[in-house]
Amino acid sequence: MPQQLGIIVLVDTANALAERTLSGNTYWFDNAKLYGSRNQGTENLVTAIHGSYWRDGSQAAEQVLNWLPYSLGSLPPSVPRGYVAERSQCSDEEVLTELESIANGSSAPEAAELERLRKALGKRANAHGRGSRGQKVLDVTGHVVTEVGSEAHSYPPPTITDVFGQAVDEKVIYPAEYGSPDLVTGGWYWAASVDTSRPGTYTYEMRIQLHDLVQRDGEILWEPVNFTCRSSLKITTEPKRNAFTKAGMGYLPIPSLPSQPSTAPAAPAAPAATTEPTASQH
Amino acid sequence: MTTSTKQKQTTTSRPITITAVVDAVGVLASDSTSGEVYLYDTNKSGGSTGFGTQELKTKVKRGDHLLWTTIALECEAHVAIHGIDIDKTVCEPERKVYPNTDVAYWTGTVKKDIDGAVPYRISFQVGTRNDPITTALSPALVG
Repeated sequence: MPQQLGIIVLVDTANALAERTLSGNTYWFDNAKLYGSRNQGTENLVTAIHGSYWRDGSQAAEQVLNWLPYSLGSLPPSVPRGYVAERSQCSDEEVLTELESIANGSSAPEAAELERLRKALGKRANAHGRGSRGQKVLDVTGHVVTEVGSEAHSYPPPTITDVFGQAVDEKVIYPAEYGSPDLVTGGWYWAASVDTSRPGTYTYEMRIQLHDLVQRDGEILWEPVNFTCRSSLKITTEPKRNAFTKAGMGYLPIPSLPSQPSTAPAAPAAPAATTEPTASQH
Repeated sequence: MTTSTKQKQTTTSRPITITAVVDAVGVLASDSTSGEVYLYDTNKSGGSTGFGTQELKTKVKRGDHLLWTTIALECEAHVAIHGIDIDKTVCEPERKVYPNTDVAYWTGTVKKDIDGAVPYRISFQVGTRNDPITTALSPALVG
């Protein structure tokens, strides 16, 4: 079973889009601080990877990296995946219910009431270059945005579109995009296996796509904007350890025992086998 | 050729989001938030400082809308804000949830212009730990 390592890339999306650079607007984390990763929470993270070796020098399983891009100042990653779609549908249903009661009423609807319903409906934004209607725009508290342009909105999570650079060129990591079947937190994600047999420090680069909300020719669009950022891995040849038992370098976390003393009580004798009564005993 | 009438989003009404990235395993292992909590906000261009530390200084002015959220460094760990202890004459944060979820955030409005710094404390619920745990150092709102 390979070791799984998570690397969070937290992007200040609004600032990155305003400044048109990820430089100064990304914060990296991994869960290998105890293994010696450096510069947690900055844009200069060096991820420590212990070569997965057994005590005899033979290679154990390779390390696996999982990258998780999050957006600072947007809906947090703890809300379920598909949350925007779900909220879009919910607001439609709420407005339809209210419209139905208005239609069934005896008096004509007032303009103010219709305006309130229009606002409750929110605005949809299309993905650039796709013909279909997109999902609604939500604010950072999960409510639909009525007036795009004057109200603050939540950005979609950043999307990794490629991992490349030295570590890939030198065949130290083998990145690829995978799909997770998990309905709540799943979706597409980038992962890589690491050849831990080659110690050293390697850089890698990542293409990240953010989406800027723009109004063009009367249409509201999520316009993709592409960025690049860089991080690095430091692979060392520490032997594989058991982090749960901290049992050191042994093969298994079981301390070696002296041979069993002769005074030890003998194992209880196996119970005598019961014999099935046979017809001859009767 | 499409006529481009791109209109940028105005940022006047954007709330300042303060996000705590919490190393849940680290907090549980060391029984402390020291070195295990990283604070950020979205007002870097407005003059906030101390990014990535527990002494984040968020630049605010009267009327600013603030929003506190958390991110767990281990994606399957539970981390939430239990409370925010701050001078109530400056801000009274309250707990809310994202609609149709049980995921919480805290929000409040800056009531007055601040002269200097107003430190505050955040306490977190982490994993299955029964008692909330409070930041070792104080972040602050600064004027």
